[in-house]
Amino acid sequence: MTLNFTLFRKIFQSTLFLLLLNIFFITALYAADGEKLFKANCKACHTTTSAKLTGPGLKDVEKRIPSREWAHKWVHGSQDLVKSGDAYANKIFQENNNSIMSAFPALSDADVDAILDYVKVAAAAAPIPTAGSANQTSVSDGTTTESGIDTEYVLMGLLVVLIILVLVLGGLKKTLQDAVNKKHGLPTEPDLGPVDSIKVWFSRNKRLTALGVIVVLLWGMKGCWDSLSQIGVNQNYEPEQPIAFSHKIHAGDNGIACVYCHFGAEKSKTAGIPPANVCMNCHKAITSGTKTGTKEISKIYASLDYDPNTQKYGPNKKPLEWVRVHNLPDFAYFNHSQHVTVANLECQRCHGPVETMDTLKQFSPLTMGWCIDCHRTTEVKMADNPYYEDFHKNLMKKFEAEGEPNKKITVETMGGTECNKCHY
Amino acid sequence: MSKTKHYWKGIEEKENSPAFIKQKEKEFSDFIPVDEIFGKQSKNSSQTPRRDFLKFLGFSVTAATIAACEAPVQKTIPYVIKPEEITPGVANWYASSFFDGTDYCSVIVKTREGRPIKIEGNKLSKVTNGATNARVQASVLSLYDSARLKKPYKDKKESSWEIVDKDIKDKLAALAGSNGNIVILTSSVCSPSTKKAIADFTTKYPTVKHVTYDAVSYSGMLDANQQCFGTRVLPVYHFENADCIVSFGADFLTNWVAPIEHAVQYGKARKLDSRNKVAQHIQFETNLSVSGSNADFRYPTKVSELDAAIVCLYNALAKKEGSAALKCNPVEAKVMTGVEKTAERLWANRGKSLVVSGSNNAATQCIVNAINYKLANYGTTIDMNNASMVKQGSDADMAQLVKDMNSGSVAAVLMYNANPAYSYPTKDFENGLKKVKLSVSFSDKMDETSSLCNYICPDTHFLESWNDYNPQTGHYSLTQPTIRPLFNSRSAQESLLKWSGNDQDYHSYIKANWQAGMFGKQSMLVLFEDFWNRCLQDGVFIVESEIKPAEGVVAPAATMDIQAMATQVAKASEGKGKFELALYQKTGLGNGNHANNPWLQEFPDPITKIVWDNYVTMSPKDMDEMGLHTLLGQNEETNVVKLTANGFSVSLPAVPVPGQKEGTVGVALGYGRSKSIGKVAEVTNGANAFSFASFVNGNIQYAALNATLEKTEAVYQIATTQTSHTMMGREELVRESTLEEYIKNPKAGNEPEMVSVSEDIDPSKKLPSNKANLWEDHERNGNFWNMSIDLNSCIGCGACVIGCTSENNVPVVGKDEVQRVREMHWLRIDRYYSSDTTKENKELGVVARYAAMEKPSMADSLEVMFQPVMCQHCNHAPCETVCPVAATSHSSDGLNQMAYNRCIGTRYCANNCPYKVRRFNWFNYNNNDKFAAFNPAQQDEFSRMVLNPDVVVRSRGVMEKCSMCVQRIQAGVLEAKKQMRKIKDGDIQTACAQACPTNAITFGNSNDKTSDVAMLKEDPRQYNLLDSYDTQPSVFYLTKLRNKA
Repeated sequence: MTLNFTLFRKIFQSTLFLLLLNIFFITALYAADGEKLFKANCKACHTTTSAKLTGPGLKDVEKRIPSREWAHKWVHGSQDLVKSGDAYANKIFQENNNSIMSAFPALSDADVDAILDYVKVAAAAAPIPTAGSANQTSVSDGTTTESGIDTEYVLMGLLVVLIILVLVLGGLKKTLQDAVNKKHGLPTEPDLGPVDSIKVWFSRNKRLTALGVIVVLLWGMKGCWDSLSQIGVNQNYEPEQPIAFSHKIHAGDNGIACVYCHFGAEKSKTAGIPPANVCMNCHKAITSGTKTGTKEISKIYASLDYDPNTQKYGPNKKPLEWVRVHNLPDFAYFNHSQHVTVANLECQRCHGPVETMDTLKQFSPLTMGWCIDCHRTTEVKMADNPYYEDFHKNLMKKFEAEGEPNKKITVETMGGTECNKCHY
Repeated sequence: MSKTKHYWKGIEEKENSPAFIKQKEKEFSDFIPVDEIFGKQSKNSSQTPRRDFLKFLGFSVTAATIAACEAPVQKTIPYVIKPEEITPGVANWYASSFFDGTDYCSVIVKTREGRPIKIEGNKLSKVTNGATNARVQASVLSLYDSARLKKPYKDKKESSWEIVDKDIKDKLAALAGSNGNIVILTSSVCSPSTKKAIADFTTKYPTVKHVTYDAVSYSGMLDANQQCFGTRVLPVYHFENADCIVSFGADFLTNWVAPIEHAVQYGKARKLDSRNKVAQHIQFETNLSVSGSNADFRYPTKVSELDAAIVCLYNALAKKEGSAALKCNPVEAKVMTGVEKTAERLWANRGKSLVVSGSNNAATQCIVNAINYKLANYGTTIDMNNASMVKQGSDADMAQLVKDMNSGSVAAVLMYNANPAYSYPTKDFENGLKKVKLSVSFSDKMDETSSLCNYICPDTHFLESWNDYNPQTGHYSLTQPTIRPLFNSRSAQESLLKWSGNDQDYHSYIKANWQAGMFGKQSMLVLFEDFWNRCLQDGVFIVESEIKPAEGVVAPAATMDIQAMATQVAKASEGKGKFELALYQKTGLGNGNHANNPWLQEFPDPITKIVWDNYVTMSPKDMDEMGLHTLLGQNEETNVVKLTANGFSVSLPAVPVPGQKEGTVGVALGYGRSKSIGKVAEVTNGANAFSFASFVNGNIQYAALNATLEKTEAVYQIATTQTSHTMMGREELVRESTLEEYIKNPKAGNEPEMVSVSEDIDPSKKLPSNKANLWEDHERNGNFWNMSIDLNSCIGCGACVIGCTSENNVPVVGKDEVQRVREMHWLRIDRYYSSDTTKENKELGVVARYAAMEKPSMADSLEVMFQPVMCQHCNHAPCETVCPVAATSHSSDGLNQMAYNRCIGTRYCANNCPYKVRRFNWFNYNNNDKFAAFNPAQQDEFSRMVLNPDVVVRSRGVMEKCSMCVQRIQAGVLEAKKQMRKIKDGDIQTACAQACPTNAITFGNSNDKTSDVAMLKEDPRQYNLLDSYDTQPSVFYLTKLRNKA
């Protein structure tokens, strides 16, 4: 798992800029060192805010601890201090459920000071997560505002303009004709009105009309066919989920492997929606999101009946009801492990660039034609898997006999397009 | 050989009446019960005007179109905290043990997402050896039975555990204080921890007495062994060591003592091995049983003469040995001839033979023991030094208890796994129970007994419970829960512990027992936790040191007076009436424990092929004499007869069974259960035949010698699958020969049919029919899935049918639909009778010979064959060529595949299938109210959990059929691919092959030349059904060999 703490980096960069203008100039230089040390040693259990992780939040820590010397001793070996009967050491040991803080004898006193300096700086700069901050940007906001005007509206506008043009030209033509007729002393043509004039045009141009009718009919039939064939096809289905979970942040920005959460993909027919306890592997530490603050993450906590402050789980657990995006019908058997473990396919091959999607959408049509197309063209890597040994030998013999020794062995050659490979 | 025989599935087929021919031409009954679906009022009262009709039509088309456009939002709900051992979509298997007081079976349970969905045999067990039977296979559905009690009951009202516990504890304490007798009444208990819990309970309340009572009693055998050997236990039988098996009325393959074990052993004994040996099986019996159907020689014998025949056999053997004969009632000449021939054969196979009897008369069993001792069978085929614990009931104890209850000297009775109000022969038990102050039942149903009790403390289903078993000396096994209890029930043992003041749960109690007891009996594992986990994982634990060598038994005759026994036997057989009644247990329903299981109710009886009903089996000759209808067919009605015996009478339909001894009738036990045990029992007809049983010589006899039959005016419609899906008289279905002829010519009975080839080539030349081929062959580059069915091993028990139902979500359709030939079983077992048409009858002339041959009553030498038939997966499949939408097609690995979603239901395929293995789905069995009572497995909110999620629940209007468990093939192939290895033979088993106790079904890849199935394909006995059609099936059969030597 590689976690890329962009959030902290951004915060720190902006803080640094502010601090340069501030009187904490010198302290900040120490703090730069302190940041590295903090991230390397402390961050797994402590925040620079007042939020609690495994250990207490370190905001205003210096106001609480007796002295910096005490901090040095504590960091080098907290249990020695506890056993020595130090009052404050015992107090915080008990406050934190008697969980023992790891000893860091390698950190020098100066290092500990640097960390404390950094904590002071970082705590001052950290935004206070409030309910309001969660409203700043909802995750889906970024995706909907794409190009300005839709092409459909442009086309409709053009159509209106053209119709007006036709009417104007028609009127113009009629006026000119009238003028010509008048000049030659002919009677003016009767004013037929738009409907009658169209009828007259049709009766005068029968071939063109017939052709037009046929074209329109064919076009209509094609439209019907296309829309019928789309029944049950939910490509680009992008439902709103109960938690504004962003694959972009998790799989894209932070590079978490797909199968970390969708662990079923390698061994089961279903990839699976991760249970809430898998979220907690990270979100026990990460209590606030990049874009939504605590609003969305708190829904995981609610599901588990988890209190981030006391870090305790309650009894009132209730499952999250996600909206299923990829719905294969029951009569089609699909096995993820066949494709992920045996065929070694990238998840993106079917699911698309999930790592760029804030809201997940169905990338592929998931139609039978789409499955079959892939099975017809995908080559089976037979050489690597002893399972295929006899199969390979027999096929090679056959191909050689047919004079095509280099013929590709696709999934279809192996019987991968037969009905009961998927339907039973 | 087969050419000289005439095979028929039912009398109606043999007689070939015009009505039957007309009926069988119709593979599918086109009748659709519209009235029942739309209700009665639709027929007359309501009318739909044409305009309304058009309006509705238009509206519904529009609505359907609109609805089709928008896919419904589907939720997906993951675990909140995922249990570590579960991966959604991957099955977990747990070893466990099944024991219901009747059948013991070590099993493995398949669970998906925490739900048990399939039961299979545990191959690690040395007792059941991976075998199952129909009842064990079906037990998974009983778990989800919504008629199970959901709470404890007090005075027939729902109560809570707190109240019930407090009441019972107080009352027990008061009773124990006043020295009142407390009785724990159970069926056979072979669980060491249960026994200990009962012992603990006895310590707490010293007036407790434990009485063991089996619904179908083996008390006579136990008493006989007590008299002969001084221990009241049953021996361990070894049918596999016998070269000559003789049974007197014991249906040891499906019901007697330990049928699953016996079936495995019998399978081994009857498999043709490299020595060209097949055990010989001789059966003397009244009703035609599954065991009798498999016999090489079968002698129909009256009930009253069965025991006498045993004494005759003793005398015949004594004569050979030169010892004294016993007093013996005379038996019929035919039976006597049989006894003498049998004595010859037994004498020739001394030390390698086995004689068993189904009698519950201790005296008879003593003589059987003496016979086996004379034949030196102890130590080889009977192991008396090790005990089988599955049957322990004592009729004498039970009779005493009933007496005491009636005299008012029993203060409390606690009943576990026993339902005497249903199964006790007289009403005395019910009357006595009313006089008992405190009656507690641990039944999980509102059954005949529990509904009379003050308290019901529902026990958990075995798939929800912990338990341990000791079915045989030295063999132990564990039951572990595979799901949390579905209802607010509690294991009976835990209740007993609680009432003895021990608040420990039963799990830790067993664990502590095993730590104290079992753990010390091994030295492999040092830590108890490791040992416990190993035992749980294996399901079984064998203590070699406890298993004694089989050899060396004290002579039984020395300790008893065998002449007195013979006198007793003779006395018990007297007083014959016009008819004799023999009660029997069915292969599916047994003693009626599982009467609410629809899979077992719709399981066709192996002999009569009747479903959902109880009936009187009669000899066709007797029926003709009484003027009863003998031709059943599908829509023919049977006559109802009134059967009276032992002061009790029932009216049941009379059904002809050609093997039934003339002058006898048979009625199955296990029917007529209380309606309160569930919806399925509610829709099943039949009467409780336990009332016909009576005490003779101190033990319950399941027969009555003084029965009378009266024809009534009533007629009754039964449902039978006997003549459905008949192969329309096509020949070459079953092939058989004798062992003698096979040794001379391995292809005996399996000679290929020769056909003439085109005249312009060579008119004199003939080719084997399967070589005259117009089709192109399929390429088989990868796997080629084949199945072999050994007709010599198949005993017709039907475990495969239920295994298939469970694996493939086969719907239950109910009696009404079965009558219309619409049963949905993908796998059927065809039962053929055959009667000899050899030269002996030649002098009668052609017409008379056929007439004589077709009178089944003449067929004392009636032979029976069982043949499992599923889709044959033809490589030149007739169905594939006629499907207009290519819904059925052929796969590259030899399967005939069926894409349900493509099927439009023309039924052309079924019409073109020569094997009649395709089933048309007439209704939405999964949500049509008409099937709610029969088909809970697809409709009931609980029972639906039993469905296999990897197999589609088929909808109305499609054809379905055996897929050769393609989901299992696919799973096995995927596993091999993932592990990057070749498929090993035996990796993939179909549900039927896996369920088969005798290994008659072998499945595998015949392109792997080392596989079992590839070798069987080369066997000279191998043949295809309807070979001359050249359909080249992937399923093939091996000819049956009878040992007629």
